[in-house]
Amino acid sequence: MITLTLKELPSVPLEAEVLSPDVTAGLSNDAIRALPVYLGKRQRRIDDFFDVDGSSSDQITIQGDAARVKWIGRAMTRGHIRITGNTGMHLGAYMSGGTIEVSGNGADWVGAEMSGGLIRIDGNAGGQIGAAYRGSSTGMRDGTILIGGSAGLEVGMRMKRGVIAIGGPVRDFAGLQMKGGTIILASGAELRTGAWMMRGTIISLRPLPLMPTFAYAATYLPDVLRIYAAYLRGLGFTLPFDQQQGAYQRYTGDTSVPGKGEILIWNPRGA
Amino acid sequence: MARELRGVEIVDTYAEAFDMRVSRVIITAATEGWARTAAVSMTGFATSVIGCKVEAGIEAMLPASDTPDGRPGASVLVFAFNAEGLGSRLVERVGQTVLTCATTACFDGLPDVSERVQVGGVLRHFGDKLQSSKFLDGRRYWRVPVMEGEFLVEESFGTQPAIGGGNLLILARDQSAALTAAEAAVAAMRQVRGIILPFPGGIVRAGSKVGAKRYKSMTASTNEAYCPTVRGRVGIASELPATVNSVLEIVIDGVDRAAMEEAMRVGLDAACRPDVVQITAGNYGGKLGTHLFRLHDLL
Amino acid sequence: MLRITGGKVYDPANGVDGVIQDICIDQGRIVASAEGGRTIDARGMLVFPGGVDVHTHVAGGALNFARGLVPENQRAARKFLHGKDRRAGLGGMTPTTFATGYLYAGMGWTTVNEAAVPVLTAKHTHEELHDTPIVDKSCLLLMANNEMVLDLLEAGEIERARHVVAWLIWAAKVYGVKAVNPGGVAAWKWGKNASALHETFEGYQSLTPAKIIAGLAQIVDELQLPHPLHLHCNNLGVPGNVATTVETMQVLEGRRAHLAHLQFHAYGGDGWSNMHSEAAAVADAFNRHTNLTCDAGAVLFGDAVTITADGPWQHLLYQLTGRKWGNLDVENETGCGIVPYVYKDRSLVNAVQWAVGLELMLLITDPWRVFLTTDHPNGGCFWRYPEIVQLLMDVEFRKEQVRRLPEAAQQRIVLGDLDRQYSLFEIAIITSAGPARALGLSNKGHLGIGADADIAIYPEQPDPDGFLFSYPRYVLKDGEIVVEEGEVIGGSEGREFIVRPQFDAGIEAYIRPLFQQIYTISFDNYPVALERLRHPEQVTLPSKPA
Repeated sequence: MITLTLKELPSVPLEAEVLSPDVTAGLSNDAIRALPVYLGKRQRRIDDFFDVDGSSSDQITIQGDAARVKWIGRAMTRGHIRITGNTGMHLGAYMSGGTIEVSGNGADWVGAEMSGGLIRIDGNAGGQIGAAYRGSSTGMRDGTILIGGSAGLEVGMRMKRGVIAIGGPVRDFAGLQMKGGTIILASGAELRTGAWMMRGTIISLRPLPLMPTFAYAATYLPDVLRIYAAYLRGLGFTLPFDQQQGAYQRYTGDTSVPGKGEILIWNPRGA
Repeated sequence: MARELRGVEIVDTYAEAFDMRVSRVIITAATEGWARTAAVSMTGFATSVIGCKVEAGIEAMLPASDTPDGRPGASVLVFAFNAEGLGSRLVERVGQTVLTCATTACFDGLPDVSERVQVGGVLRHFGDKLQSSKFLDGRRYWRVPVMEGEFLVEESFGTQPAIGGGNLLILARDQSAALTAAEAAVAAMRQVRGIILPFPGGIVRAGSKVGAKRYKSMTASTNEAYCPTVRGRVGIASELPATVNSVLEIVIDGVDRAAMEEAMRVGLDAACRPDVVQITAGNYGGKLGTHLFRLHDLL
Repeated sequence: MLRITGGKVYDPANGVDGVIQDICIDQGRIVASAEGGRTIDARGMLVFPGGVDVHTHVAGGALNFARGLVPENQRAARKFLHGKDRRAGLGGMTPTTFATGYLYAGMGWTTVNEAAVPVLTAKHTHEELHDTPIVDKSCLLLMANNEMVLDLLEAGEIERARHVVAWLIWAAKVYGVKAVNPGGVAAWKWGKNASALHETFEGYQSLTPAKIIAGLAQIVDELQLPHPLHLHCNNLGVPGNVATTVETMQVLEGRRAHLAHLQFHAYGGDGWSNMHSEAAAVADAFNRHTNLTCDAGAVLFGDAVTITADGPWQHLLYQLTGRKWGNLDVENETGCGIVPYVYKDRSLVNAVQWAVGLELMLLITDPWRVFLTTDHPNGGCFWRYPEIVQLLMDVEFRKEQVRRLPEAAQQRIVLGDLDRQYSLFEIAIITSAGPARALGLSNKGHLGIGADADIAIYPEQPDPDGFLFSYPRYVLKDGEIVVEEGEVIGGSEGREFIVRPQFDAGIEAYIRPLFQQIYTISFDNYPVALERLRHPEQVTLPSKPA
């Protein structure tokens, strides 16, 4: 286990993609301390900002308010990162394996263009979760992102596969230009959900304002949701699928593309 | 040397069984009744690869807690000679009997094996391009829009090597005793996982020999050495002891040797009842099959 | 003061073909002798005049629009970190300004001609060129769809048109005249094109592309500009456009002209399914028309970004690729289309394109008339020029690349049958001496007394994983070492060549009211003040019009 404890709050965001199990797995304590981070445009050392315990491990714990520390877990393929406080932008971007768990809040671009692995944030996160970077044709290609709290704009933008589940409210353009995969909005979202959607599934457990280019299809219980419910149950997330509790209203769209995606809105029995 | 179990002679011989390939199909439905209905329909007309192209049966009924989608289900085993044939048969059977059955979904029961055949990957075309797929945790599922709602079927099913044609021959004093013993054996064997008994009720009343002696071109014909009513005729070399008047066979297909042995062991034990004279097994002198199960090893 | 000793010198303009001789430099120029100062030991090395890129797109509104359209390319681009003597930048297919200068210089190129500048956005171009370090620059003004000029040509008022063109050249502070798809970009404002050389096009009654071409060529000659009319022919990229190209050469008889990126204009067939090389026919016609120069516009397999004023062609390319497309209209003057593109060696069309550029360079007999370019970034990035040099110099390597193409592609080209190999002397011509001469830059492209000391020194044997030319040992600009062992170590901001052609001062009385009527900006904000160019160098034109 490598434990990094923030001792000096960076004055501007810190670019810390070196904080990845792939990097630390084979390094001595001295080597980890000397890893380069960028404070703005200036190169500094990890131990200018963190106390470092441990060596040669792909298990990392980061303690302290790392809200200004960016790119943690970038492109990681293995191992585990546990962040006890907040974390900065681009958490787990491009990752393809391993897990990241954050007790506090995340920021924008969590899991951007990731292709595997698991990211879990107990608190809130920002926008562009699992999304494509500007200009890129595709966002998240696989993997799972769970956010306990709220999220911002363009969640899952251009994602192709994988699962994003958000516990709290989500802002506009969730699932923008989605190509596949599944987004679960436990507390619904604001405007333009599913805009330009091509394929994929957006599940909302609260009523959702829909664009006029989404067409109502049916109210039912898709069997496939049981598979998702089983998968998410193992990760501590509940997805209703019981006929006694209600059913889902299915909307297909975005017909302006024309897209073959679906938005499923949970309709509790008696509502 | 002969041995005995509760007064029944156990012949020192072996059952000769063959290489086959198997897939496991998990069918779930809204109720156990509908899961069974689909499974029975799917495994109908699947007694022997000779005339039915596959051998299939219900391996077990599954409680809701044991299925991928948490609904009651049935586990079906399907055996054929090669993977390609198996794939085609699965598409036919799932397509005609599971897709068409109310409330069902269909999952792969061998998700970890590397050799795979396309089932949902073919059946999806029934959706006429209105179908969609979801990929979760390394598995792809197809959702085919149907009048009832959606039919959920997994894209590919695993296939692995298996053993077909394990058997027991129950030689009894009369038809009633043979049947009682065979039914008892079947009841015991049905508790074993990894096997099916493809024939009606698990029992073969008309065991066969390879080819024919008096007709020119037949794949199989009655196993005259074990037919009581032709004993004594010219040219008949009967295997039957004098007191035997009826024989029933039990054929077993299994996913591996261990399952086959367990099934034959419990079946042999259960069949050793009053008025059963002898238990033996069918083989071809070891010339056709690669899997040999000695009866005495099962005691 | 500096001496380069012991190197094998290639100076085609002065007939020097791999002779070991010293080069002496003083105050930025090549001199007969120099005492004292540093000596560069160039034994075992080749000494070339700095490269001259006669057609590239590196600065201005179109480039910046392209950079914005492909942020994913910028993320993947080679990063230039800032240093004591170096500014930060991004390489890739649309390099940022500082990176552009470093990339060119890092290859041994020292003069760059920005091939397409609208008058309206010339200020932007000059700002970006100023931030393109080390290399000297020139730029060409887009005229062939300028509606003021087109209206005058249609009315037969060639003399007034000449004054307007001259005024515009000086207003924009540029070096020469560029014509892109004459009439086609004007028609694109109506969603149309101009595909027939002798037929009129949307928005006009009698004007034809041929008349625009002939008119502008006449104007450029009468203004005695150092560089002839620089022409991107009609029907770029279209299967069967060989006919248009040959016809264009006929229209240009009796005039000087430079045909841009000729590769894109040498196709046979009548559709994508039978598109094939007609490089032989184009080269044959070109060889006979000795008044013309051209640049190859060769294609390299890999990623590219197409940036051209040829709006209608870019819309077609967008429809073929189905991905991103940017289209800009430049009011009253021209347009611009951007389409990111990938040239694939499995594509029959792309394979033909790859072959045609090389075929032209091999079948055009006079190396003084055909120059090495990729129409950067349209056909490939300029920093891949060394790959083309290898293909021209090594026939076995070239034939091996041909054999790797799909069989069907090999049937559509002649490259596999061509045995010619370029010598270093000829390479020096097509990369430096020839383009310098065509641009009329008398102090560039050679190593004679009085030349600017722009020199590239390469190892005689390239690095095992590199190409000759990709890693110069030294690059000098105006006698200063700017690149040493692959590192940029300094360098000035470079100068911009401009011309001031003769025009009647009274022409402004014609232009101003017309301008105020049809433009959205104020006339007084239109011309580029000379002070906006930090290091202009005005090339003197003959005093009397021809």
